Amino acid sequence: MPVPLSIVTLASPSRPPRTPARVYSQTLWLLTSRDLKVRYSTSFLGYLWSVLDPLAMAVIYWFVFTQIVDRAIGAEPYIVFLLAGLLPWTWFNGAIGDSTRAFIKDAKLVRSTRLPRSVWVARIVLSKGIEFLLAIPVLLAFAIVFGAELTWGVLWLPLAIALQAALILGLCLMIAPLVVFFRDLERAVKLVLRFLFYASPIIYGLSDLPDGLDVWMAFNPLSGIISLYRASFFPDQVEPFAVIVAAIMSLVALGAGILVFRRMVRAVLKEI
Amino acid sequence: MSDIVIRVEGAGIRFRRNRRGRRSFKDLFAGSNRRARPDEFWALRGVDVEVRAGEAIGVVGRNGQGKSTLLKLVAGVMLPDEGRVDVHGGVAPLIEITGGFVDDLTVRENVHLTAGLHGMTRAEIDERYDEIIDFAELGESVDTPYKHLSSGMKVRLAFSVISRLEEPILLVDEVLAVGDKAFREKCYRRIDELLAGGRTLFFVSHNERDLKRFCTRGLYLDKGLLQLDGPIEGVLAAYDSDYGSRS
Repeated sequence: MPVPLSIVTLASPSRPPRTPARVYSQTLWLLTSRDLKVRYSTSFLGYLWSVLDPLAMAVIYWFVFTQIVDRAIGAEPYIVFLLAGLLPWTWFNGAIGDSTRAFIKDAKLVRSTRLPRSVWVARIVLSKGIEFLLAIPVLLAFAIVFGAELTWGVLWLPLAIALQAALILGLCLMIAPLVVFFRDLERAVKLVLRFLFYASPIIYGLSDLPDGLDVWMAFNPLSGIISLYRASFFPDQVEPFAVIVAAIMSLVALGAGILVFRRMVRAVLKEI
Repeated sequence: MSDIVIRVEGAGIRFRRNRRGRRSFKDLFAGSNRRARPDEFWALRGVDVEVRAGEAIGVVGRNGQGKSTLLKLVAGVMLPDEGRVDVHGGVAPLIEITGGFVDDLTVRENVHLTAGLHGMTRAEIDERYDEIIDFAELGESVDTPYKHLSSGMKVRLAFSVISRLEEPILLVDEVLAVGDKAFREKCYRRIDELLAGGRTLFFVSHNERDLKRFCTRGLYLDKGLLQLDGPIEGVLAAYDSDYGSRS
C-alpha cells in the first residue's frame, strides 16, 4: 500500500515551488560564479588576466601605429580609443570562442541534470560579460592618465552593452549546438574570429575607412556597437546608420539563435 | 490510490546507428519527422508506463535494450522523439552522479555547486551541509580540491549530495556497483529510508538481489519495447526464462 501522502508534502515541506524564471536565474548565477571562481582560484594573477590580454594588445597596436608608422587613424589619445574597442572585442571573442565548447566541456553535467539547456550557453556570455565589466575601470584609468574627457556619450553605454549581449547570445546559441555535430566548426570559428578582428573598427574607426567601404562596414554589427562604446570619450564616432543596423542585426541574431537552439537541442542531448 | 507522478505515453527515441553517418543540415532541422531514416534505429518505442507516488520500480533487460534511456527520459536529460513523458515533482537523478563536480574547487564549494544545480536553495544547502559531509565521511577533507579525492571518495560525496535532495522521485542507475561494501550497505539503508519516507523509486540494475530488495514492480525492456510490466518476481522470472541470465 503506497504511502497516502500528496506529492506536494512529499517534495519539500518548507519550500514553495520555484518558478522557472527563478530556477533559470539561480542556475545561471551558480554556473557563472563557478566559472569565475575556477578561473581565479587556479591562477595567481586571477582577475588581472582578463585585463592583461586586451592591455597587451592595446600596447602593441599603440606602439605600431603611433611610434613606428605615423598613420592618422582613430582619435587622440589613441590608447584610449584602442582600449574602448579592444575590451568589448575581448568579450565578443572570448564568448564566441568558448561557446564552441559549451556542451563538450560540461557534457557530464548536461547528461545528468535537467536544467534549461540554454543555460550552458548563457552562462558563457554572462561570465565573459562580467569580466568585461570588471575591465572597464582599467579603461577609465587610462582615460584619466592620458587626459581623455568623459562626455555625455557615456549614456550610450547601457545600449551598447545590451546590444552586444543580444548579439553574442544569439550567435553562441547557434554555434554551440552546431559544433556538437560538426567539430570542424570549432576551428572555422577561430579563423573567422581572427578575420573579424581586422574587419571590425577596433584598431581604426568607421570614419577612417574610404568612402563607400564604411557603408558596407556598417553591416558588421560590431561597427555600430563599438562606436557606441567609443561615444563615452569620442562622441563624434557614433554613426547613427551603423547603430541602427547593429540593433536590427543583434535582435535578428538573437531570434535566430533561439530558433536554431530549440530545433537542435533534442539531437544535441543524444549526441553528447 | 495515490497520484500518478510519472506518465510515459507512447514514448520513443531513436539514435543513429553509427556516429560517422552522413549528416546534413537538413537532417538536423527535420526535428519532428516520425519516420526513422535507414541509418537510425529506435532505442525505445511505444512505451506506456504510469507510476504512482510511492511505488518502487525496477527496470530489467539486457545491455543496450533501452533501460538507461528510459531512465534518462524520465530524468528529463533526454527528450523523446515521439510520445510524451510527464513527470510531476522533482527528480533526484543518481545518473553519472559525479558529473557536476569540478576538479579545481574544494569539497565544500562542490557541495554548494552541485546541490544548487539540482535545485536546492542556499538555506537548504546550509541546513543539510553537515549531514552531507558526515554521510560521505569526508569531514577532514572539506577544503581539499575535489581532484585530490580518491575515486571511492568522489562517489561517496556524489551519492551523499544527490540522496539529500529531498525530491519525491529517486532515479538510480547502477551507481551502487561502485564504492566499498560498507558504503554500499550505507547507501542501501539510505534508499530504504527514502522509500519508507514515501519516495518513488526508479531503479535500473542487473543485480537480482538489489531489485528484489527495493522494488515491488518490474519493467522488462527488450528490443526497445516494454515486454512486461508487473510484480518484480514475475518480471525477473520472465527475463530469466528468456535469457537464462543466472546459471
